[in-house]
Amino acid sequence: MDVTLLKVTAVFYLLGTGSFIVYLLFPRDSLSRLSPLILLGGFFIHTLALGVRFSEAGYLAVTQFREALSFYSWLMVAVYLLAQLRYHLTVLGSFIAPLAFLMSLGAFTFGTGAGELPLSLKTYWLPLHVTLAFLGNAVFALAFGVSLMYLLQEHQLKNKKLNVVYRRFPSLETLDRLNYVFLVWGFPLMTLGILTGSLWAGVHWGNYWSWEARQISSAITWLLYGALLHGRITAGLRGKKAALLTIVGFAVVLGYFLFGSSVFPSRHGGRFE
Amino acid sequence: MGLNHRTAPVELREKIAFDSSLLGESLKRLHSLPSIQEGVILSTCNRVEVVAAAPDEQAAFREIKGFLVQQESAAGHVGLEDHLYLYAGDKAVRHLFRVAASLDSMVVGEPQILGQLKGYYLAAQEAGTVGAILHRLFHRSFSVAKRVRTETGIASRVVSVSSVAVDLARRIFDSLEDKTVMLIGAGKMGDLVARHLQRSGVSSLMVTNRTFERAKELADELCCSPIRFEDYPRYLRMADLVIGCAGSPEVLLRPETVVEVLKERKQKAMFFIDLGDRRNFDPRINEIDNVYLYNVDDLEAVAEENLKGRAGEAHRAEEIVDEEVVGFLRWLDSLEQVPTIVALRQKLEQIRQRELEKSLSTSLKGLSEKERQALESMASAIINKILHAPITRLKRQVEGQDEALYIEALKKLFDLEEK
Repeated sequence: MDVTLLKVTAVFYLLGTGSFIVYLLFPRDSLSRLSPLILLGGFFIHTLALGVRFSEAGYLAVTQFREALSFYSWLMVAVYLLAQLRYHLTVLGSFIAPLAFLMSLGAFTFGTGAGELPLSLKTYWLPLHVTLAFLGNAVFALAFGVSLMYLLQEHQLKNKKLNVVYRRFPSLETLDRLNYVFLVWGFPLMTLGILTGSLWAGVHWGNYWSWEARQISSAITWLLYGALLHGRITAGLRGKKAALLTIVGFAVVLGYFLFGSSVFPSRHGGRFE
Repeated sequence: MGLNHRTAPVELREKIAFDSSLLGESLKRLHSLPSIQEGVILSTCNRVEVVAAAPDEQAAFREIKGFLVQQESAAGHVGLEDHLYLYAGDKAVRHLFRVAASLDSMVVGEPQILGQLKGYYLAAQEAGTVGAILHRLFHRSFSVAKRVRTETGIASRVVSVSSVAVDLARRIFDSLEDKTVMLIGAGKMGDLVARHLQRSGVSSLMVTNRTFERAKELADELCCSPIRFEDYPRYLRMADLVIGCAGSPEVLLRPETVVEVLKERKQKAMFFIDLGDRRNFDPRINEIDNVYLYNVDDLEAVAEENLKGRAGEAHRAEEIVDEEVVGFLRWLDSLEQVPTIVALRQKLEQIRQRELEKSLSTSLKGLSEKERQALESMASAIINKILHAPITRLKRQVEGQDEALYIEALKKLFDLEEK
């Protein structure tokens, strides 16, 4: 049931991707309204799919890679839709929608992976830790998107070759400000995600930090983004350098998410003993 | 006939240029030439042209050349003849239309030429050297210019450079309302771009110039604050957009200075627009992070790139000119034709009446009123039928070169010499 719903979700996200890309090439106001609506439709079905899956499992089932993909892309689309309401970032949708499509595609194509979660781990720590950590990373995905747009736009302006596709991009100043906004929202969420994870580990396993790959990659991104935020607030770190740092930080998160769990088996990869 | 920026160097153009205070006199002198029926003189910094209506092309060319040489000799001999161009007939009409539409300008699309053209036309009108043909020709040229401006994307250099500058500023900055512009130098281009930025929402503007008086004048015009030239580096940190349009030979801003300013601004982005003839800003400034430097050439390249999407604008403009040339020539020809046709009709009508009278008073005397009328209308019909083919042919075939030939032939064949 949930797999069928996921497939429908993927179709919606694919349609949304198409619509956003057409918008990029032919910026019409109707498309700028339609594209987020398609994504919103996909989001509703996605919510249903997750609801079915979680109620079947009886807990926040995100320990398998495909489940994690599904939940993460759901959060990302949610955050994007909220940002769209507030900032009208239709162009950003052209980056988020394809990402959401690929992830939802992965959510039903990858195998089932690790087995059932031990009963001892089915506590409130799980939804708390996972939601916070994923939400932080979902916000960073948007920060990544605007940073990428910043670099593209900046490159065009510096080289004085102005492609029409970039005409609908927000100004550099806007993109830079959004980078800050998303960092300011994402960083505390990530901090809380790491803290709850650490506390949970302390409560359950007795040690708060075990130097596993997931933790190290998170720590790197956390330090990077912490430094970036600090630099932004105190030293006028902004623009291209900020965008580059944001992209590097997100690449570390994404890199672990996509490959880390299979290369470094750990609790985060479904090994809990 | 004339010379322009392409055919003659500026020194020559300056020497041959007509003094505006003596223009009326020059026009009258032109008009007094035996073969010139109507005449207008154009004399701008980029072109000196004599537009004349004359029945005899060769004689007119000879006389106008003499007229210009006279003008030249007043300024000392400069080898005028090598630089002259001559147009007659449709080529002359096309040339004037292209000049009016600013297609022949050094800066294609610049709007001033039309105003100048109107000015010189009015001067000629005042001097009484304009007749029906030039009147029509110039008015058509004004409407050609209007059509080209409204129907094609050929905008003036200043307009396109300004709008590209504003467009770029909008890509860099969120809104222009809270931005500050600094204008360095009092060059015309800088003035215009600053105005365009003001119209686009910029409210805060500072003006500086080497001579403070000029800065004050410009600041008054632009409703903003003047700054002393020696002080402007201190204000630089407040400026988000810096326009350089100073005629100074040395570079005003170096990258080191900008790096310093940027530190003070906490790296807030700056947009430099260099409009100076000689570069006001060091090009390496563009390499600094969060700083964008565009000079006139860059802005024009972007404008051109934008135009490419609307390719064929220039082509479209030429098409408009072509259409209008055909229209004007048709009118001109119809002028030629009308008297001939009228004369022909009159001649045939006279013959008809004469012959009718002759017959009716002699051999056909016994006809009833009804029969008389039938005979008269038959005679009219014969004339109309005969005339129909040649007249429609003359009216339709306006583009044909042998038009004049036909008319000439008609005149000769029917012995239609004008009184």
